[in-house]
Amino acid sequence: MKSVVKKIGNIFRNFGESVAKGNLWVKLSLIIMGAGYLGVGQVAKAVLMTVVEAVFVLYMLLVGAPYLSKFGTLGDVQYKSEFNFATMKNEVNNYDHSFMILLFGVITIILIVAFLCIYIANMIYVYTLQKRKEQGIAINSFKKDLRSLLNERFHITILALPVLGVVVFTIVPLIIMIAVAFTNYDQNHMPPASLFTWTGVENFKDLITTSTTITFGYSFGKVIIWTFVWAFFATFTTYFGGILMAKFINNPKTKVQKLWRTLFVVTIAVPQFVSLLLVRYFFANTGIVNTICSQIGVTDFLTKIGLVREGLGYIPFLSSPGWAHFMIIMINIWVGVPYQMLIATGVLMNIPNDLMESAKIDGASSFQIFKSITMPYMLFVTGPSLITQFIGNINNFNVIYLLTQDVYKTTDQLLANSSAKEVDLLVTWLFRLTSEQYNYKMASVIGCVVFVICAIFTLIAFRRMTAGDKEESFQ
Amino acid sequence: MKKKLLAVLMATALVATALTGCGDKKDQGGAGGNNGGDSAGDPVEALIASTEGTVNLSVWAAEEDQDMVKGWCDAFAAQYPEVTFNFSVGVQSESTAKDTVLTDPEAAADVYSFAGDQLQDLVRAGALQAVVIHTDEVIARVGGADSGAAQAATVNGTLYAYPATADNGYFMFYNKEYFTEEDVKTLDAMMKIAADNGKQITMQYDSGWYNLSFFIGAGFELTLNEDGTNNCNWNGTSADGISGVDVAQAMLDIATNPGFVSLTDAEFVTGIKEGSIIAGVNGTWNATAAAEAWGDNYAATCLPTYTCAGKQVQMASVAGYKMFGVNAYTANPGWAMLLAEYFTDEAQQIERFELREAGPANVAAASSAAVQANPAIAALALQSQYAILDGCESSNYWSPTESFGAILAGGNADGTNLQTLLDNLVDGITQ
Amino acid sequence: MMKKVVKPIIRHLVLALLAVIWLIPIVWLLATSFSSYQGINISHFFPEKFTFNNYLMLFGAADTVAQFPRWFMNTFVIAIFTCIISTCFVLMVAYATSCMRFKARKPLMNVGIILGMFPGVLSMIAVYFVLKSIGLTNSHFGMVLVYSAGSGLGYLIAKGFFDTIPVSLREAAKLEGASEATIFTKIVIPLSGPIIVYTVISSFLSPWMDFVYAKLILNSGISTDWTVAIGLYNMLDRSLINTYFSRFCAGGVLVSIPISALFVIMQKFYVEGVTGGSVKG
Repeated sequence: MKSVVKKIGNIFRNFGESVAKGNLWVKLSLIIMGAGYLGVGQVAKAVLMTVVEAVFVLYMLLVGAPYLSKFGTLGDVQYKSEFNFATMKNEVNNYDHSFMILLFGVITIILIVAFLCIYIANMIYVYTLQKRKEQGIAINSFKKDLRSLLNERFHITILALPVLGVVVFTIVPLIIMIAVAFTNYDQNHMPPASLFTWTGVENFKDLITTSTTITFGYSFGKVIIWTFVWAFFATFTTYFGGILMAKFINNPKTKVQKLWRTLFVVTIAVPQFVSLLLVRYFFANTGIVNTICSQIGVTDFLTKIGLVREGLGYIPFLSSPGWAHFMIIMINIWVGVPYQMLIATGVLMNIPNDLMESAKIDGASSFQIFKSITMPYMLFVTGPSLITQFIGNINNFNVIYLLTQDVYKTTDQLLANSSAKEVDLLVTWLFRLTSEQYNYKMASVIGCVVFVICAIFTLIAFRRMTAGDKEESFQ
Repeated sequence: MKKKLLAVLMATALVATALTGCGDKKDQGGAGGNNGGDSAGDPVEALIASTEGTVNLSVWAAEEDQDMVKGWCDAFAAQYPEVTFNFSVGVQSESTAKDTVLTDPEAAADVYSFAGDQLQDLVRAGALQAVVIHTDEVIARVGGADSGAAQAATVNGTLYAYPATADNGYFMFYNKEYFTEEDVKTLDAMMKIAADNGKQITMQYDSGWYNLSFFIGAGFELTLNEDGTNNCNWNGTSADGISGVDVAQAMLDIATNPGFVSLTDAEFVTGIKEGSIIAGVNGTWNATAAAEAWGDNYAATCLPTYTCAGKQVQMASVAGYKMFGVNAYTANPGWAMLLAEYFTDEAQQIERFELREAGPANVAAASSAAVQANPAIAALALQSQYAILDGCESSNYWSPTESFGAILAGGNADGTNLQTLLDNLVDGITQ
Repeated sequence: MMKKVVKPIIRHLVLALLAVIWLIPIVWLLATSFSSYQGINISHFFPEKFTFNNYLMLFGAADTVAQFPRWFMNTFVIAIFTCIISTCFVLMVAYATSCMRFKARKPLMNVGIILGMFPGVLSMIAVYFVLKSIGLTNSHFGMVLVYSAGSGLGYLIAKGFFDTIPVSLREAAKLEGASEATIFTKIVIPLSGPIIVYTVISSFLSPWMDFVYAKLILNSGISTDWTVAIGLYNMLDRSLINTYFSRFCAGGVLVSIPISALFVIMQKFYVEGVTGGSVKG
């Protein structure tokens, strides 16, 4: 942390030095960014930098400033529309669109920050050029600069587009989502017809409040517990299931290994939305499985031992709390184990053979080998991906949504009052809050929570890995 | 004789729906009062005169109506040879139109169809254009400003949509093989017959749209406030002196009766095809399926009475309308309004009835002999005297009622105090 | 002696049992896709009457629900472009982070890992409005952007793979005067077959699986613009399911065929890709 502050301090010191000690051309660069390059005779770069500056200024004047000036209130001119009988069109006033103000406000702020960075770097750079010229060191020609983009500065070339994509489609939406959490954007404040505005941490308070009218606190607790329970079981059942299955199939005693493997892989080749929706109807209250179960007496048996409530007449696979939780994890095993099996197969093949051989010679049983050689190796190799999967499962929208949407009806009224269900993960709850209730503000608050959880887990997991930077040691 | 009776019933029904409609609409005497178009001469001529270039209009209609609506678009264009139209017809299920429209009203179609219960939310989000061309004519065609259809399309005295069908409500389908006309008058008799035959009758409990039937029937109220929240007194005592707990207990008794099961729409259809379901509460959209499954034994009537605190209470229902609305953000509001008006004209409503058994909202179309002879629509008309207008439900209404219904359908497995259930329900609805 | 005969039989019986459990729903999908009963048949596992009609309807019937060939083509085109862009992005980011050393590398990697964990559902409304403000809603190009723009964040596995390529190879090339660009295209890429296949398959698949973003962005309701996922999902609409369920199954089978083929053919590379990368995460 300290070093970051120090570095930033250095940058500003360099900037100050450049301004103070630079010659006229460099000082002129404060206003016209290309000037410094002219001073050392680099016309192409001078034009380029000045164009960048001009485009930025133009953007600020035309788009940035108007939006930014309303950013504090998110707009105050209400939408008004009146039908004009002369033109037969609607006449709309010059209204404010809160969401667009938020969106362009965020984009403009990002652009300003980016521009400031370029601006400061530019000043420091032109001053360096001036010093070089004074000292008589050769200055890269524009052509050479371009060529360096394919060599020592190749990373800039190849990172430019991916980073741009991430900024526009991940970072900007992320910042907006976080910002919405501090507004009152909900069904009663939906642009363009209405405005929404900043409300501070009001929504975060609601999330931990449980009263007669606000049950978010209650639901939040329930949902987050199930989210973690689910993520834990979903990750570990498929992980160990996959390893066991791989061991079983790859055992030399198993005939036609490839056939078995392919049989299991078929299930992951069916797109999830098809296979999961199918399974949802397969296990419906009046579905085929229930018909068969009641025909062969399974339903009666389960009723007798108390697993199915008396008088229900069907097994509530996906419609009552306990059963649905159990079935979701089971179905996830069905979906996830073949995938893990594939990965485990690959890893198992890589286990150094001499280790196994020597263990066998020492007279170790196959269970002992599994316990003290196979598993540690597996864990070593796939440990990091385990964390990734855990986080992936926290956010496993598909499995939960496709299996329970329209089918699962909660019988917990407090959950229902905040549109949550016992089987909801944070992400599915969030999704339903937006797509059915238009409660964007609360959805965003939940989104923030999800983000914090993900970030914490990722940091913990990858800190260890990247801490010592062992990358080179493998190469 | 019977047909005449039906016609009378329908007429009274229309008035009755108006009377039992959602509260909070007292100031709407002349729903079309602001028809400013008359002063500017004939709006259609003005429209043609002011039109330049191609008019692009997009339309959203239900999957089943695609071909029909495309045909209408062409016929509409043929009426105005001097104007070039470019139509695009998209698929949007009426029951979920609101979800798609509200996500981004500006991207929604110029003319879209939706179920009447969404009107309030759509208007509040500013997604519907007020009807300003031919307002009085549109109102007159559905039976005047006091008719249920006009009221259902009106918010605060302004007409916002064109009623297309008057069939978005529910009633009782039954199989004549098992029930006589006398049997279907009480739910108790029906459940007994079903149980005796090893069959079941059904109604969807875990849906607020259906289960309000019990409460409204017992004289409870559900009204909408200006800000879009609900008023609800179901945990108290109704105007008829019945307590909420009595209603909940009655619902619980029905749910645990062996002759009854709570099924969703799709399961209802499967059930009647399988033969396990011999009667059920559902709407015209499943009339064809029921008629196919039961053949000559297919019949429909109004909802029966249920036993509540020892009394027989008539089950109420929702009188719903499907409507076409014009997007407030359309670039061509004039033409969009004319198109929506055309879609809901008498001829189109009759065509829609013939193709889909959709009950017309247009009075002239509704009084045609073919419509009157349709059992499902007759049943709906019969039921409409006990119906309240659709659109009283706030967006906070659905989730709590769904949960409440699910608890009762499951026989209140936890044995929670019914008053507590009702209190939670009302807290949820009115939040 | 007995034990020697019985044990393998038990082993294979267990496997067979597992395989049956795994395949039952798939068999049901297949069986229903050939069913002459159009809704969900709840009384019989196998249809009473088999027909090929559901498949023919997907291709023949002109009704808007069943524009299957169009949806297939749309998805295919989107998938191809997504696949090209994503693969390029992933390989480029992986090369930059694995084989090059520059100041912002560590912070970029850390930010990338965190953002990569971030589920798309969270910010979909914002993504929608970003797309709308550049006029790309209801366009397949917009879909491609949504699927591929953030793909650089999935660089980790490819980076792990690149880390295993001996550094001496690159050093030698540098001594001979090759630029980084040349090393990337001429040395590293040709060595990374498995990871390319892995990236290609996984990015090719995402447009076939996604229905949330597709539904949000292709919101004009014009069914010829849809992808397979929206089209099939739409068939299960409350009012349609009783007539379209068997056709939904037929569509599901048709989508699965090319994907299964991809999987089976590429199985080897896929495994190598996944594990090669995760060895060093």
